[in-house]
Amino acid sequence: MVIMEMSEMLTWLVPAPPLISFFVIILFTSRHRSMSHLVALFAMGLSLLFSWVIVFNALSTDHFGEHPIASDVGWLPTGDTVLRMGVAVDPLTIVMLTFVPLACFLIILYSVGYSNFGKGRDQRDISGSPPHHGVEPMYSRFFAFLSLFAGAMLVLTVADNLLLLFFGWEIMGLCSYLLIGFWYGRTYDDKFQITPSGAAVKAFMTTRLADVIMLIGIAYLYFEAGTLNFREIFFNEEIMKHLLESPSLIGGMAAAHFIGLLIFAGTVGKSAQFPLHVWLPDAMEGPTPVSAMIHAAAMVSAGVYMVIRMFPLLNSGGHGSPALTVMAFVGAFTALFAATIAVAQNDVKRVLAYSTISQLGYMIAALGIGAYVAAAFHLMTHAFFKALLFMGSGSIIHGVEHGMHQTNDKLDPQDMLNMGGLAKRMPTTYWTFVIGGFSLAGFPFVTAGFWSKDEILADAFAHGHWWVFVVLLISAFLTAFYTMRQISLTFLGDARTESAAKAHESAWTMTLPLVVLSFFAVFAGYVGVHMDFPVLGAMLGSNPFEHFVIGSLPHHISGFEFEWTPVIFSVVAGISGLFLGWLVYGRRPLVIGQQDPLVKVLGPLYGVFANKYYFDELYNVVLVRPVKWISEVVAFKWIDRVLIDGALHSVANLTMKIGSVAVWFEKWGIDYAPDKFGDGVRFSGQSFRVIQSGRVQDYLNITLSAVVVIGAILFVILR
Amino acid sequence: MGISNYQMSSVISLLPEVGLLVLAGVVLTMDVLLKDDRKHLIAVTTAVGSLLIILAALMYSQPSGDLIWGGMVRDDMLAFVFRLAFIFAGGITAMFSIGSKELAHRGDYYAIMLGAVIGMCFMASAADLIMLYLAIETTGIAGYLLAGYVRTDDRSAEAGLKYFLFGAATSAVMLYGFSLLYGLTGETNLGAIAPILASGTVSVSAICAIVVLILVGVGFKIAIVPFHFWAPDVYEGAPSPVTGFISTASKTAGFAVLLRVFIYGLAASEYWLPAMAGLAAVTMTFGNLVALAQTNIKRLLAYSSVAHAGYVLVAFVAYSELGVASAIFYLIAYVVTNLAAFGVVIVFAHTAGTDDIQQYAGMSRRSPYLALAMLVAFLSLAGMPPLAGFFAKFYVFAAAVKADMIWLAFVGVLNAIVGLYYYLVVLKVVYVSPAPDGVGSIDIPATCKIALVVLSLGIILIGTASSPWFNWAMKAAQDLF
Repeated sequence: MVIMEMSEMLTWLVPAPPLISFFVIILFTSRHRSMSHLVALFAMGLSLLFSWVIVFNALSTDHFGEHPIASDVGWLPTGDTVLRMGVAVDPLTIVMLTFVPLACFLIILYSVGYSNFGKGRDQRDISGSPPHHGVEPMYSRFFAFLSLFAGAMLVLTVADNLLLLFFGWEIMGLCSYLLIGFWYGRTYDDKFQITPSGAAVKAFMTTRLADVIMLIGIAYLYFEAGTLNFREIFFNEEIMKHLLESPSLIGGMAAAHFIGLLIFAGTVGKSAQFPLHVWLPDAMEGPTPVSAMIHAAAMVSAGVYMVIRMFPLLNSGGHGSPALTVMAFVGAFTALFAATIAVAQNDVKRVLAYSTISQLGYMIAALGIGAYVAAAFHLMTHAFFKALLFMGSGSIIHGVEHGMHQTNDKLDPQDMLNMGGLAKRMPTTYWTFVIGGFSLAGFPFVTAGFWSKDEILADAFAHGHWWVFVVLLISAFLTAFYTMRQISLTFLGDARTESAAKAHESAWTMTLPLVVLSFFAVFAGYVGVHMDFPVLGAMLGSNPFEHFVIGSLPHHISGFEFEWTPVIFSVVAGISGLFLGWLVYGRRPLVIGQQDPLVKVLGPLYGVFANKYYFDELYNVVLVRPVKWISEVVAFKWIDRVLIDGALHSVANLTMKIGSVAVWFEKWGIDYAPDKFGDGVRFSGQSFRVIQSGRVQDYLNITLSAVVVIGAILFVILR
Repeated sequence: MGISNYQMSSVISLLPEVGLLVLAGVVLTMDVLLKDDRKHLIAVTTAVGSLLIILAALMYSQPSGDLIWGGMVRDDMLAFVFRLAFIFAGGITAMFSIGSKELAHRGDYYAIMLGAVIGMCFMASAADLIMLYLAIETTGIAGYLLAGYVRTDDRSAEAGLKYFLFGAATSAVMLYGFSLLYGLTGETNLGAIAPILASGTVSVSAICAIVVLILVGVGFKIAIVPFHFWAPDVYEGAPSPVTGFISTASKTAGFAVLLRVFIYGLAASEYWLPAMAGLAAVTMTFGNLVALAQTNIKRLLAYSSVAHAGYVLVAFVAYSELGVASAIFYLIAYVVTNLAAFGVVIVFAHTAGTDDIQQYAGMSRRSPYLALAMLVAFLSLAGMPPLAGFFAKFYVFAAAVKADMIWLAFVGVLNAIVGLYYYLVVLKVVYVSPAPDGVGSIDIPATCKIALVVLSLGIILIGTASSPWFNWAMKAAQDLF
């Protein structure tokens, strides 16, 4: 009991240190670089410690799922009811608390080296641009934002209700905007290449669109259920029955599923599922630790975590709920779709970005077919190996930039065609990257990625979701292929540029996190091996992960029998993908100026993949331009002018000015009209000043006259 | 709840007032004994003493709910909450007074202020017309002295005189109302008056006259339209720490009387509610509109405080437990927020020597922390989440809506928008306008720094964790119904 109470208190404290550290850095240590990162690291370390104490306590508690940690306080009294806010830790939260704080801690540690700590200020550097070779000009700010990001993620993780979760969710949205656009001053010669500030706006707008739909879902849920507390909804038969039986706005669908779909829209945005995946690759414009934060530890995991959390609602009424079907479709499609794009990318970070989208698709698809445990399992293993890969890629880029600094070359340090042969120059990065890559590719029996991916495939196979199984299998093959392609292009063979030849290994603050994460990228998988798997299953404690996590659900869902067929398929997919990648790129690594062999093999398809199916262009034509057109022409010209000003100005006057929309709008719409309004209000304000004459006799006269008037009015009313 | 006689418990429940009296004595003694260069210790003593009194009250003087001291004083939660707020305001004001060259080293100033606090404490707890009038006058006379304390400054002297003349006139009118009340009911105790009024033996027109007459006195204290005329002139002329004190503690004390007299004493005569609703709407609108045109920060805050009195009146006319609780919560939030706002004004004037809003240009560069404190205070005044002011307005409007006064809530929300405009204009000057050439950083005296940190944290805390405070207010509200 004492242990439970301690865990309860610690749960409240988990998100606090990074949030406090944000304010401390912004307010007090913004001028001291080493103080700033020490504060951030200390705070994150404290969170990590708290989290792992909670994890340890939970793991040593029998049947933890039946007695989760829960604690709340009344937050907003509204007369008869009180809106309660609180924290809760159930097995699913424990899973998150295992990897989120660790990954965040390592990312912050990594950022110390990444931001060139210890080097002097380069005189060429200005705030808002990436540093040339000196320390990041806005060093402290970076750590403040990272802390806030981590704090928000932890708030979301321990929240016991959707509203608090949404707070964390939105703060993360803000942080992603601030961090993706961290180098807001950066511009490119190629005017079609997206800039960091453009990418930040894109990420923010895209996720905002999804968040609005999600907020509608939350409001709808509150309206129907009367509470937003997860446990109060999912474990209350009556509420669940009510949600399942009340018809929704869309005919034929139960409210539960409709709400589930609305909330799932939030995930589509946050976890970059098709069709709102477009922001994520561009988010690579941010500094690399940010990419790791967004794509592994925090933001995209948050989206998946939320739908896993909402699973009882989505799954209500048994299998085959329309919401789950939509999710299975979206997830599987995204997995394949993004994997094909990843095959044809040359930017080392963009490959990983599309790979992330693809892997998130796996999780969503897994959840869609009811593989609750497998989705949570893959979420965890993916966080480890993807954080590893992102930070590895950051280390690579750093190495190449170091080379560029020596050779004074001007080239794209992220283009894999400019690399090659880095294995000898950066051994730690190489080996850890290989471990992470093989885990992503699902190298059989050794890596964590294999076990979690295999579990998803096995579940799909066992429950007869054939098309999901096939689609995910093809994606698995492609994943292995592009991973091997990436490793070969980057590390193998000879350097294709001078800069790559002069690259060198990164600082220990950057490589240490890689080593730590590669440990987890291998061993994190052994907690979830199927209990009937020969030898390993029994040896590793009969799938402790599943037994533990399943406790989060109100009704236990059925597991599946162990079968060899899906295992063989997934082994073959992984191995053959890697082998094919090696055949094409690894056996005879590309030499300087050689074309990517895929271009010839795939023909025009390569162009389609490389250009991401032209989705950016499509959205630009179908959405961005029409919205701009609507806001400029319809909102400005018609609504603002005709409807609002129409009463004041004649239509003839309007037509005369149509030719000079811009000028007119600038002068009247923006500058003049609000001023005019302000003048009007201020004028009425001034006219009151007449009675404020400064003579106390006047004041008393007015006051006492007013008394007589009020008295008279009251008297008349009462008569 | 009978009338218990002079027992030990009756003394203990007056612990805060006794403490304040002792503190005033200590302060006066220190004034005589201390050398001039050590006199800043007087302010520190006042602040620390106030803190100790608050702690002692929390530990030993939990209210019993009884009428004590022969029915003069009601020892209930309502009084308790308000008394703590006044003592808090007194302590903070003492800390800010260090920032005023004329006041910082004057022992008698602190003693008079403590006297005012004692008066306010009794305003909140008085249950008898005689006690009430004594308390109001104690507070008032101390207030007139404080406003005119800097005799060498014409504006301060004028403020003191105006405050006094206006106060004396309205006080006389109110006293007439009291005497009518006594004459018609034969009682001076508010608890005894209520049932007599409820029985219908007193004619409606007489009650009507009583209500209006008493309203004059209370309306002067809380500065609602049309009893607010003194406020801008006095606020501008009085020394800034005194202005902060009058605009928060004194106004809140007025509201304590308003709640006590109108809801506890005149409960049976709810027909004054429509008139009050009208006054609330007029007060909010008038205060905000005139504030728009101000160029002096103290005048701006004066009109804004008129507007805030209007918001509290909205909660008052909701006339329910929720309404009273939200009024109390609003006042707590307002005391903390407005003290912070005046603290910034005091500190700024300490270095810059002016209250002109245009001179605030570029303050964020001259002192980022002071600008941050101002941001917190002004956004809270404007009612921005997650600060105290937002939740205060939220509860007030919620109470109005629940009481079917939707039109009043609507007027309130519209007013909040107007308010937002002029608060943001000031913040724009502070953060966006460039600082004039040749001005240096702003020096913040240590006590002011501590007070600003406490108040800023308080604003955030009352906002983000509003529940415990609101529960307190709710408990206090239950004493009236």
